[in-house]
Amino acid sequence: MAASVRLLVRRAIRVSHRDITVSAAGVCGRSFCRCFSDAAQERSTHFGFETVPEAEKADRVYKVFENVAQKYDIMNDAMSLGIHRLWKDMLLHAMHPQPGARLLDVAGGTGDIAFRFLEYVSSQQERQQRRAARSSQTLSWHDISNNYSTVEADRPRESTAVVCDINKEMLKVGKQKADSMGITTGLSWVVGDAEELPFDDDQFDIYTIAFGIRNVTHIDQALQEALRVLKPGGRFMCLEFSKVTNPLLARLYDVYSFQVIPVLGEVIAGDWKSYQYLVESIRRFPDQEEFKSMIEDAGFYCVRYSNLTGGVVALHSGFKL
Amino acid sequence: MFKNVLSRFLSETLLFQRNVKHTPSLRRVGAISAPLRSFTDAKDGEQPPFDAALLEVLVCPLSKKPLRYEAKTNELINEELGIAYPIIDGIPNMIPQEARLIKREASDTPAQ
Repeated sequence: MAASVRLLVRRAIRVSHRDITVSAAGVCGRSFCRCFSDAAQERSTHFGFETVPEAEKADRVYKVFENVAQKYDIMNDAMSLGIHRLWKDMLLHAMHPQPGARLLDVAGGTGDIAFRFLEYVSSQQERQQRRAARSSQTLSWHDISNNYSTVEADRPRESTAVVCDINKEMLKVGKQKADSMGITTGLSWVVGDAEELPFDDDQFDIYTIAFGIRNVTHIDQALQEALRVLKPGGRFMCLEFSKVTNPLLARLYDVYSFQVIPVLGEVIAGDWKSYQYLVESIRRFPDQEEFKSMIEDAGFYCVRYSNLTGGVVALHSGFKL
Repeated sequence: MFKNVLSRFLSETLLFQRNVKHTPSLRRVGAISAPLRSFTDAKDGEQPPFDAALLEVLVCPLSKKPLRYEAKTNELINEELGIAYPIIDGIPNMIPQEARLIKREASDTPAQ
């Protein structure tokens, strides 16, 4: 009886072994196939120095900016020692918008570029009016008052700025700033995705994206959308952190980025990881030449870039012709 | 009678204070028409009116077709696809995943 039981057990083990090996092979084969197909379907991208599936990156970026929205402007001042204001002013100076221009500021968040744009355009308008008044100074009062009335009647189209951002919190902060500054006309806020802009073709004179494009999952799609919504002759302008050319400055910049900025993030905004992501994402972004060729690939012409602060920031510009 | 006078006095000083607070913003804004608008906007209060000028530029991000503004539900509606984009705090939310399906249309969900 014992012998037969042993035989039975041995046979059972043999059978089960066979089953196990067959099933193991099957599983391996299936999982190998699955890995192969998954790799094709689920592409991964970088999130700072991490590698994450593409679908995840957008969510994580959203959370980063949701957390930092309230302290965003203060942190910008602290991290860049106020130099970010100069960078943005230089962007406006390079843009040199004329009254009547329409701006789309993507990833505009708290609205820094849009505010500067409206200020610049209104001061341009004042300057033009003063020039017109000066040229007509020898006229009589009657003529001057007539001129004023005609100027009001056929005033060129008002400059408008549309701020588009994927993150509602950032837009909320921006809207509050606008309300406190008393800006009511010529400024609109839209929640939208840079890869899928909710705007019609050929709408805007200028498209700007300042310190936002490195957070976009598919940069080429964002560039194609930019090309689409710009009018022919429209200008694409992008401010973004880039590669520092000078090696000594690069070393200092690295030390500052990785040792000081996350600490500042923790102290001021209470969020180390978001600012760690920030400095890592800067390192992962392509350099000036590579980004320039990406912009050219999207279909822009006369693509140029200029380095600000030794290459810490690069201003890329292209035209839709 | 004294109470009436007191309440009227209080309401008028409050109004005065509110007006005084708004004059700096009036000075800031350059154009002539804008101060009037900011004055009335301040009085209108809660629900910020949706800027109709935006409607000229906005289209559905999926189909790139123009949208219709529905004042009752405060949404932007794309009839073709049967989806509605909400407007929160006067800011339209044009993310396709956050659009609402209108039950009339039995089309594919926009959240692809």
